[in-house]
Parts: sequence; structure tokens; C-alpha cells
Amino acid sequence: MDSPEQKITKTVSRVTASKESMANSRQVIGINFCGPTPLMWRADDLKSVRELGIIGNLVGSLARQPRQNTRLGRPLELLPEEGRLLADMGRAAVIPDSTNEDPEVEHYHAGLENSFQEQGALALEDRKATLMRVMTEKHNENPGCQEDSDGAVRDRLEALARGFSFPRTAMAVQLCTARAGLSHCPEVRRFLAADWPIPRDERSETRFRVFRDLRRQGFYLTSAGKFGGDFLVYPGDPLRFHAYFIVVCISMDESMPLCDVLAIARLGSNVKKTVLLCSSGGSQEDDGEEVVYTSLQWSGMV
Amino acid sequence: MGFSAHGKQCLHPEEALYLMECGNLQVFYQDLPLSIQEGYERFLYSKTMSVQHYQVFGHLKRLGYVVNRFDPSVVPCSSVPSQYERQLNLPQSQDRSGRLPKRKRSHSPTSRHTGTQEGPTSKRMEEEKDCNREEEDKNPDSLPDLSAPDIDEIQTASHVDPTTSTEGGQGRSWWSKEGSPDPDSELPGQPQSSPRWDFSSIPFPDLGSRSWLPSSLTSPDPCLLPGAVGSVGACDVAPWLQRLNLREVRMSRRECERERDRDRYRRDINQDREVRRCRNWAEYQELQGRRIQRSRRDRPTHLWEGPVTPLHDPAQVTSTGELLDKISVIKSTRLLEGASSLKGSEEWRICFNIYQPDTVAEFKKSAPGKPYSRMCVCSFDGPVPDLWTLKLLVFQSGAVPVTYAVVDHGDISFYSFKDFQIPTDTSF
Repeated sequence: MDSPEQKITKTVSRVTASKESMANSRQVIGINFCGPTPLMWRADDLKSVRELGIIGNLVGSLARQPRQNTRLGRPLELLPEEGRLLADMGRAAVIPDSTNEDPEVEHYHAGLENSFQEQGALALEDRKATLMRVMTEKHNENPGCQEDSDGAVRDRLEALARGFSFPRTAMAVQLCTARAGLSHCPEVRRFLAADWPIPRDERSETRFRVFRDLRRQGFYLTSAGKFGGDFLVYPGDPLRFHAYFIVVCISMDESMPLCDVLAIARLGSNVKKTVLLCSSGGSQEDDGEEVVYTSLQWSGMV
Repeated sequence: MGFSAHGKQCLHPEEALYLMECGNLQVFYQDLPLSIQEGYERFLYSKTMSVQHYQVFGHLKRLGYVVNRFDPSVVPCSSVPSQYERQLNLPQSQDRSGRLPKRKRSHSPTSRHTGTQEGPTSKRMEEEKDCNREEEDKNPDSLPDLSAPDIDEIQTASHVDPTTSTEGGQGRSWWSKEGSPDPDSELPGQPQSSPRWDFSSIPFPDLGSRSWLPSSLTSPDPCLLPGAVGSVGACDVAPWLQRLNLREVRMSRRECERERDRDRYRRDINQDREVRRCRNWAEYQELQGRRIQRSRRDRPTHLWEGPVTPLHDPAQVTSTGELLDKISVIKSTRLLEGASSLKGSEEWRICFNIYQPDTVAEFKKSAPGKPYSRMCVCSFDGPVPDLWTLKLLVFQSGAVPVTYAVVDHGDISFYSFKDFQIPTDTSF
């Protein structure tokens, strides 16, 4: 049995480990926490989350082109409000970090061996095809010599098949993005789900309520740190629209100095977005509490 | 990337994770290769390297920069020369531990006897300064022996007999020998106590004067020159004259008029009769003091005698700049003032050194050189860096600018604070 000496292989490609069908749309989406940050790793989870209207942000390297920053790949980082909303809706669950699984070493090595055999066979086929092409080209160039060309071709192919060896170091190895394991099967996720961490302070609570309310109204929201606010509000998918609003969440009884109001209004007018000052109503119930919106927009003298 | 420890090549966790994401590295744990997700969960759990730090690291590496961890014990002064040092263009101090000098240095006597030789030379400098100061002092008590060739044997006697000093100086022509110094007499304007320079007999070469163009300068008295130089010989004046601009200034009529108007109100201090009567600097200062006293007698007492006095006496001559300084409340300060006394912080620290890629600058692991910038990672949810933090981090960083990478759920923005001085008008 080959010991895993091939620690660094020539080409490593990343592939999702899951091949489950998309038929069941009520699958539970798995969210993994890395520290305080919620991340999502599975490609179909990402798709279903997008259909629910949660955008998130891709933060990993793109597998095919890792050394550029314009298009990034998995994992998808969620806003804490997004994750909490998904958990509240029952569509997502927090998967705890499971480190007590038995490492399936034999399974891995068997898979590696299978892959090696397959790749060897494919490589041989590839070589044969190349040889055939070269020989037929030669044959076409000298139309005169027709003596036993098929026999020669067959001999050459047999010699190739005998003498061909596929080196281990040329094997392509898969490096998985998402972890294969118990959390692989969606049914087990419900079983494993941990509780969503409850936010401690009033500010996160306000932010969540505003997020939920706006999401209920059908807007798509992303983070807006660069614009000096809490969220950017899009009328549809962010890939298709520009943002309409910058949301700034403040608590109902907090007083805001006039300089701050002016600053945020100026900022909004410079980037051609309306600023929404949002506060959630004082009640603690989940239903029926209101979110109050105040909009700031630059207007000319009428 | 990477470093060697205990003879093995090791990688930092963020470097390993980055290489895994690029597809260049497989990390095995318990005989199984780690997936990217496991890499994130295992490598990015601590406060030194969280997901936000890794996002900044990855972003910069993908752009092509060389990113290292910042080690506060290495910085700031040792390897990177400060900007002032670079302006002076000092030779870099080499690390001599492993290198033998190519040429064996011959032991010159100065290197051996530096201690003993520097003593007398420094004493000589001090005494020269003391000479010039105490010349004008009314108090001749600690007058040093003024015979220059014998300076090595200077006595620091409390009272030096002035007659001996004047006798000792007889060899030189510019000491006027009038009057014996009287240590007890009060001297408000009777400057006879100390030997004075007789400027009329000291030939100061004036190459720019049009009245007297010498062809060559005679050699100065050897007593004026430093000890071992001796006689220098006559100096040919012609090459020096060539370097001077001796052309007449031809002004247009308008310029002449302007000069005349300006000169109407300008008073040449050398034409002032009282000033001409002063024979040395001390007398001039006394004159100035007397003048100020005189002007002060005209001051209204109700203004000047109380506990709160006016900021400025209009009779006094001063410039606009000084007046503005007197009424200024806010003094300008530099960013590094008071920075050395700040202690470290738990919250704010510099995480990475950023070096430009190889095409722009030379980077070697053994000699990285000066980083392009240093990075501090924070987020929009956290506090804004205050002045204390800015000073602390700029001080820790040394001569390298500090950039703040603000991570906002996956989006990274870079900010930096630059020191700035409001330009002051130097005509004040």
C-alpha cells in the first residue's frame, strides 16, 4: 500500500464532495462558524440561500484562478443578521465543528487508488489517440507506401500499451473545499444542529429587526461599511441593480448630533443614494413590532 | 514565505492555508488531507490570526505583495535606518560578527591613545570658548592663561594674575595693553578691566572691497593657527577673486527710487552714535538695556504694575510672527511627540509587514529591507483608532507607514493617516 508520500503533487484541483440532488428544496442549509464569523461551504447550499434572497459575500480563492481578487470563491461569509434570519426561518442550522469523527484512512486510500487507475487508463487512451493521429497523418503524407500500414499501427499500439506506465507523481489529486463527513447528509444536519448564538447588545438586535423587516418587504441587503452605514438596500438581486438606500440603524431614544446627520446626508447625496435612518419599536415581541424609517434625501429649493 | 525552525522548513498557518487555496499544497493530518474548510477551522481560530486577518493576508498575496508577520521585537531602530539617517547618508553599520576585515588595520597611535589624546583636545576647545566668553566678562577671576601654545598646561586657578596674562600675550600685536585689570571696580561703561581686541591692527582680508585689491595675502601669524600647522605661506588671491562676482549692480531708475524710499526709514545701526561709542559686545548690550529702561519709564502704571500686564509693549520692536505666537492658543505638534512613552495595547497591534513584489523591489528572506507598509487589521464594528493608537502604532512601526485594513464582512478597505504640518508663512 502506498504510503502517502505524495504530499505535494503537481496538480491539485478542488471539487465539491457532495453530489446530492436538488430535488428536495426544503433541505436544511448548514452554516459553520469559524470564530464569530458564519461561513457556508457547500455549493448547493449557496444556491439555495441565494434563492431565499440572502446574498452574503464570497471570501475564498476561486479554484480555477486563485491569484486574482476580482472574482472570489467559497466560502460564503454571511452577515450575522442573515444567518440569524435563516435560522429563525428554520432553513439553516449551525453545524458544530466535529473533530471526533473517525478518520477514514482506508476509504481515502482506496479512493486514491481508484482514481489512480482511472487516470492511468485515461492517460493511455490519450496517448493512443495521439499516436493514431500522428500515424494517419504520416500515412496521408506518403500515399505511396500502403504496405501493411494497419499492421504497423497495431504493432505500435501494442508496444505502447505494454511499455506505458503512469507515474504516481503525475496523478491529479482532489483537494476538497468542503469537509466530507457526517455533516454531508442533510438529514443528519437537523440532528446535529447547534443553537444560534444570541446577540448580547441592543445594537445587534436593532440591526436584526431592521434587516428582517426590509427582507420581508422583498429587498435584498448587503453590508455597507464603505458607505458609512449598516446595510445597502437593493430592489432586486445586487447583480442586476444599484443600491437605492443606505440604512443606518440607531436606537429609538438615542440622540444623534447634527454633525452626524449632516455627514451622512452629504455622503448619501454624493453617491446618489437615499439615507434611511431606522429604529425598531421598543417592544420585545417578535411579531407586531414596528420599524420606523426616516429618509434623508438631498432636495433642491422648490 | 515560510521559515526554518529546528532544521525543518515550516509554514505559518495562514501561509499554508493560502497555498492550499491556490492548489499548491496538501496538508495531511492523521493521514488524511485537510479540506479547505478544515483548514479554515483548524488554522484560523486564534486572535493572532482570525478569519479577518486571513482575508487581508489572502487579498494582498493575491495582488502579488510579499506579506510577513510583524515581529515587534525586531523593529524599529535596528535594521531600518530612520529617515533622518538616510538623509544624512551615513554608511550603513555592517554586521561584523561573521565577517573578517579584509585589511588588517594598522594600529595608529590615535586609536590606542584615544582616551588620553582626546582629553587635552577637548580641553583645548573648551578653553577657546572660555577665552572668548570671558574676554567680555567683567569678572576676570577665572581667566585662563592666554598663551596658546601652552594650552596643555592650563591651570584652572581661581585667580590669575592679569599682568602675567598681558605679558604672556606680548608676542601678539592685537592685544591692547592699556590699563591693568581691576577686579574690584564696578564697570558701567568703563571697559578697561579686560584686554580688548584692537580691531584696527588685525588685518582681516577683505577680498570684496573695491578700494584695496591685494595681489596676495600674507601668511597669518602662526599663533592664530592650530598648533601643529605652523606657517602656511602667502596665499595667491587671483583664483579666489575669480570666484567672486565683482560686477557693478546696475539698477533701473524705478529700482533706485524704491531703494531710496526704503532707505529713508531704514536706520543703519552702524551710524548710530551711541552704538559707535560701544567698544565691545558687553557695552552694546548695556546700551540696549538702558534704552529699554528708558522706554519703559513711559509706560502707564495702571497697565504695567498690576498682576496682569499687557502682552506686548508697542514701543518694542517685534515682528508679526512673534506677535502671532504670543496670541496663539493651539500649538502645533507632530505625530510622534510623546509616542515613546506609550505602552503597548491589547486591542491594536500591527499584524503584517508588506513588501513590494520582486519586480519592483528586491526582497530576500535574509535581507528583506524596508517594508513598503505595515498593516493593522480592524473592522467597522470596532472603535475608530484614536490619537493614542495612532501614535503608538506609528512609533512601533518606525520609519515605515502604517496602513489600516478595515474588514467589513468580506470587503476590505485600506486607510492610512499621514502626518501633516500647516505651512507657515516665513515672511513673518
